[in-house]
Amino acid sequence: MVANEVAKNWILLNNEIMIKHDDEFSLHKDKEAVRAYFLEYVNKNTVFFYTLKEKIDYLIENNYYIDFYQWFTFEEIEEVFNYVYAKKFRFESFMAAFKFFQSYALRDDSGEKFLERYEDRVVAVSLFLAREEGVKKAIEYAEIMINQEYQPATPTFLNAGKKRSGELVSCFLDEIGDNLNGIGYAVDSAMKLSSIGGGVSFNISKIRARGEAIKGVEGRAGGVLPIMKIMEDTFSYANQLGQRPGAGAVYLNIFHSDIEEFLDCKKINVDEKVRIKSLSIGIIVPDKFMELAEKDEPCYLIYPHTVMQEYGQFLDEMDMDKMYDELITNPNVKKKKINARHLLVKIAQTQKESGYPYIFFKENTNRVHALNEIGQVKFSNLCTEIMQVSQVSDIEIYGKQDTIRYGISCNLGSLNIATVMDNKRIKETVKTAMRALTVVTDVTNIDMVPSIAKANRELHSVGLGAMNLHGYLAKSFIMYESNEALDFANTFFMMMNYYSLEASMEIAKERGKTFVGFEKSAYADGTYFNNYVNRDYLPKTAKVQELFEGIHVPTVEDWLELKAKIKEHGIYHAYRLAIAPNQSTSYIMNATASVMPIVDIIEVREYGDSTTYYPMPYLTNDNYFYFKSAYDMDQFKVLKLISVIQRHIDQGVSTILHTNSKDSTRDLSRYYIYAHKLGLKSLYYTRTRKSTIDECVSCSA
Amino acid sequence: MSKTYKAVNWNTPENDYVLMFWEQNIRQFWIDTEYIPSKDIDSWKRISPEMKDAYKKALGGLTLLDTLQSHTGMPKIIDHIDTLQNKAVLSYMCMMEAIHAKSYSTIFTTVSTTAEINDIFEWVQQNKYLQYKAQMIDGYYRAIDKEDASDEEIYMAMAASVLLESFLFYSGFFLPLWLCGQGEMVASADIIKKIIADESIHGVFVGLMAQDQFKKLKNQDQVKARFLALLYNLYENELKYTEEIYTEVGLTAEVKEYVRYNANKALMNLGFDPIFEVKQVNPIVLNGLNTETTQHDFFSKKSTNYEKATEIVHLKDDDFKMDVLVDI
Repeated sequence: MVANEVAKNWILLNNEIMIKHDDEFSLHKDKEAVRAYFLEYVNKNTVFFYTLKEKIDYLIENNYYIDFYQWFTFEEIEEVFNYVYAKKFRFESFMAAFKFFQSYALRDDSGEKFLERYEDRVVAVSLFLAREEGVKKAIEYAEIMINQEYQPATPTFLNAGKKRSGELVSCFLDEIGDNLNGIGYAVDSAMKLSSIGGGVSFNISKIRARGEAIKGVEGRAGGVLPIMKIMEDTFSYANQLGQRPGAGAVYLNIFHSDIEEFLDCKKINVDEKVRIKSLSIGIIVPDKFMELAEKDEPCYLIYPHTVMQEYGQFLDEMDMDKMYDELITNPNVKKKKINARHLLVKIAQTQKESGYPYIFFKENTNRVHALNEIGQVKFSNLCTEIMQVSQVSDIEIYGKQDTIRYGISCNLGSLNIATVMDNKRIKETVKTAMRALTVVTDVTNIDMVPSIAKANRELHSVGLGAMNLHGYLAKSFIMYESNEALDFANTFFMMMNYYSLEASMEIAKERGKTFVGFEKSAYADGTYFNNYVNRDYLPKTAKVQELFEGIHVPTVEDWLELKAKIKEHGIYHAYRLAIAPNQSTSYIMNATASVMPIVDIIEVREYGDSTTYYPMPYLTNDNYFYFKSAYDMDQFKVLKLISVIQRHIDQGVSTILHTNSKDSTRDLSRYYIYAHKLGLKSLYYTRTRKSTIDECVSCSA
Repeated sequence: MSKTYKAVNWNTPENDYVLMFWEQNIRQFWIDTEYIPSKDIDSWKRISPEMKDAYKKALGGLTLLDTLQSHTGMPKIIDHIDTLQNKAVLSYMCMMEAIHAKSYSTIFTTVSTTAEINDIFEWVQQNKYLQYKAQMIDGYYRAIDKEDASDEEIYMAMAASVLLESFLFYSGFFLPLWLCGQGEMVASADIIKKIIADESIHGVFVGLMAQDQFKKLKNQDQVKARFLALLYNLYENELKYTEEIYTEVGLTAEVKEYVRYNANKALMNLGFDPIFEVKQVNPIVLNGLNTETTQHDFFSKKSTNYEKATEIVHLKDDDFKMDVLVDI
């Protein structure tokens, strides 16, 4: 009976949630699925040890764990285990359990037997993080994780404590120089970074366009598309030991003359040579472009190599507000005329058909960038929440010294808004989380890609995010699109900002060391704090005041004090906050993903190897109404909420637009225009809810 | 007197549903090579030889049905439709059927050797149940291959087409959907899901036309009886076909339940009440059939959610005027 060997009872039970009785889904089936999954699969496939000592020794001796005995006695390790197991953790949904065991739990080398449960993973991560700080700190790390107040991002949670593992960092970004050495360096970096597990993003805006000159001979350059093709194949080749597919993105400045071809690569009916299937694409949009679209003035796409030859400067590093008129009047700069509004529509059309491109609003980002004296933010990453300074390195031939400048690396983690609010532990959790993230930058050294290593060594960037916003609002009977939601976000994310700055200052003080260039930053001259010392961010509505009852909310006085301390001691991290989309990790945390609204009360989740039904956390018959689908929400209100969150986040917020297939390109374009005017820094995917013929037939009938 | 030729005029819709079907069809346009079945090579190596055999046969059978539908079914029916816009929708569907027929080969080519593929196409020609269903349906299509086909003949050809689209395909769809629910052959299932989304609108559209056609008939009871006899005949054949493909992998009972479920759907598309008793269809397959939007992971799989953008509207000055005050 071959089907029986493939068929899994827990998957059947999880699917049975969708069977409706009296108009209600069979939600109880999800608990049965969890139970079946443990009894019939996990427990049967877990290696049994008689004692904890036997287990730890086995895992260390057989090269599964690093040698924790270098830093801890067995008794200390046991103390952490006892602490964590005493919490009696249970998975709240089948999705949570399934995702954990399928993707995170340590397995033996055959891949068939589990060597870890959730508690064990939490302990291993905690011991790893606390190895220089001792058992007391290990318990602090374990506490925020087993309480599900903080969740490290996948690379950290998956790899920490394991002997044979990838890196702990989530995200890498770098520039590509406009010559073969630079391109070669980028391809080489892409392969290496992809193989150690991070998402990689490149800025290809400096590459000369199709038809430009090479060595002075016109018409020879191939443009950005061939490089994208190489990148795409590189990422699909270099995966992480076959466990995670490699993933990468490229960003192109919207004024680059290859932009139309760049957008067309996602069209389904183009030539194989220029079709891009799995590489993600993003566009860099300066204010100038939006201005031309608004005024409906002619827009010129510019050939970047001619700019380089004329001005000795890269097109994508120019301030287009200042330089655009100069560029279009200079006859030595080659350009072609297009209609900016038509290009916006084309972007909308591409998004409707593929979900891409991501949009990065360059000036919105740099207007509030605290490190402008060091350099500008030029592009973003695979999830559009990382926004840091970058500079292209000069890569030379063998034997000549390269000039290595800033790439970008970022390691991430997220707060669970619901648990930190319920436990009244925002301050403690943010501070401990910042410590946990700092350890990751301390131990990371990506020396095979020197530009990335330099950035990490000097800037110590981290990205603390948050998840479960919609879940928490719904369970508190607040509509996601309401004023109370804006009010809550305004106070909550101000607090995240405050305590992350305080933690960063304390670390700088302890170590007597700031990030390189602190003295040139807006933190040092105090301008960063203007928004906080001139007004308070206390909750305004009664409902939200109630939620913050018993929690100290930092006041203007607190901010003034923090400003002074930062002036004195500096801060350790050049970048601290970034709201990632966190998908897998939010399932484990029984949370709604990131700060985005939910898509459905039971989400159908497709991965490359599974389809799972995930009922929303806290869903009951009483609060059903508050679990409104993102597809049914007013996207303008969603963007407005994101703009309130963005105020307090030094990097970006992954923001997904949810549209219906009947929405026109004009509707989508208006979301971009609104997002830009609100000051959002980026837009991530556009997801589309398909129309079905059933609903068409029923509305026409 | 020579015949007058008319041009299709989309300025005036000929009925209240044709434009909607046209647009939905366009929106759903896809081609096989957008998908990446090579991601399934590891899965293919993992599943048992019996399962592989069933999978190949299921897809082989589907290829035959799509071939029949694109080469004979749709073209013959088009000949007997009066409304030019409906003809246009049918010819679009006809083209999609050809893409469907090719897309199974895209999966085969990716995972199987040439010898194995040749064996399957050979099997398609040898299998008596498969040949029987093709022959039965084809008979009704061929019957209208003349200018003066009767209303009943035209109705029966349309009804046969609905049976094919809404009923006979599904014994083949079961396995890819079931395996996908278990996390196997997931990338190939993306293609299958696109086909299912198409077939479901094809069945509804031809079903609507068949219902119109049925109203023209004077001997409705007799025709209905003849139609039901055909349905039962094909149903008995489908049970045997199911046994042949699925017995070795142990899924026969579940597939039969599914076959009955879809037979009822075909009946409903033709405006009749369901007649088969259906207890519980495997929920994994039923959920897999849901062609509505799912939340997918962009990095590990391609989405089946995106559609051709048909709502292109240009921007005006007013679109840039908006209130951006955030009062908090």
